[in-house]
Amino acid sequence: MYVGHFAAALALKARVPRAPTAGLLVGAGLLDLLFAPFVLFGLERATVTPAVSPGFSLDFIDWSHSLLMSVVWSVGFGLLFRRRGAVVATTLGFAVFSHFLLDLVMHPADLALWPGSGVHLGLGLWRLLPTGWWFVELGFVAAAFGYYVVRSRPGTTFGGRPALMAGTLAVLHLVNSPWVPR
Amino acid sequence: MSTGGLAVLVFLSFLVPVPLLAWLDRPRRPGAR
Repeated sequence: MYVGHFAAALALKARVPRAPTAGLLVGAGLLDLLFAPFVLFGLERATVTPAVSPGFSLDFIDWSHSLLMSVVWSVGFGLLFRRRGAVVATTLGFAVFSHFLLDLVMHPADLALWPGSGVHLGLGLWRLLPTGWWFVELGFVAAAFGYYVVRSRPGTTFGGRPALMAGTLAVLHLVNSPWVPR
Repeated sequence: MSTGGLAVLVFLSFLVPVPLLAWLDRPRRPGAR
């Protein structure tokens, strides 16, 4: 999942407007932001698989994406915002954990319970629906963004440019579609 | 694409849009069209 993570962050923004938007967006993507350096430094492993949806295999992502480490990253990220109050800090922490919950739907069973665990979770929509996953994610993005727009009435402290925001999310989702060559 | 290229692509794809999305989220000034 890609744009779905950003949409989740915006829905959380709509729920808790005091939470910083950039923090929510970074938090929602944090597990993948960690994945990248972890792969580059050899802590985690992935393989490019052009013929198999979604185009890569996540062979070992236990340090960034396992259930236990997702909780650890969520708590750690939330603590960075503790001076803004418990509600904001908890919301930022949940933004991080939302990544795990959404990946659970898309990923094949590559989400370990903890680093090195033999038990891996994942409903595997990427594999079950090699192109259909894109529409499932689109449905989630539409629902989350719809909630964001409904909550961003005039006078609220967020959501000033909903049309441009929708366009940006649409472009990002199109770029991430299974019909774009990688 | 190499695995390293994939990692860099993932990193940038989650970081680069953040400033734009955060800016689009800012409230409009009263009276702005």
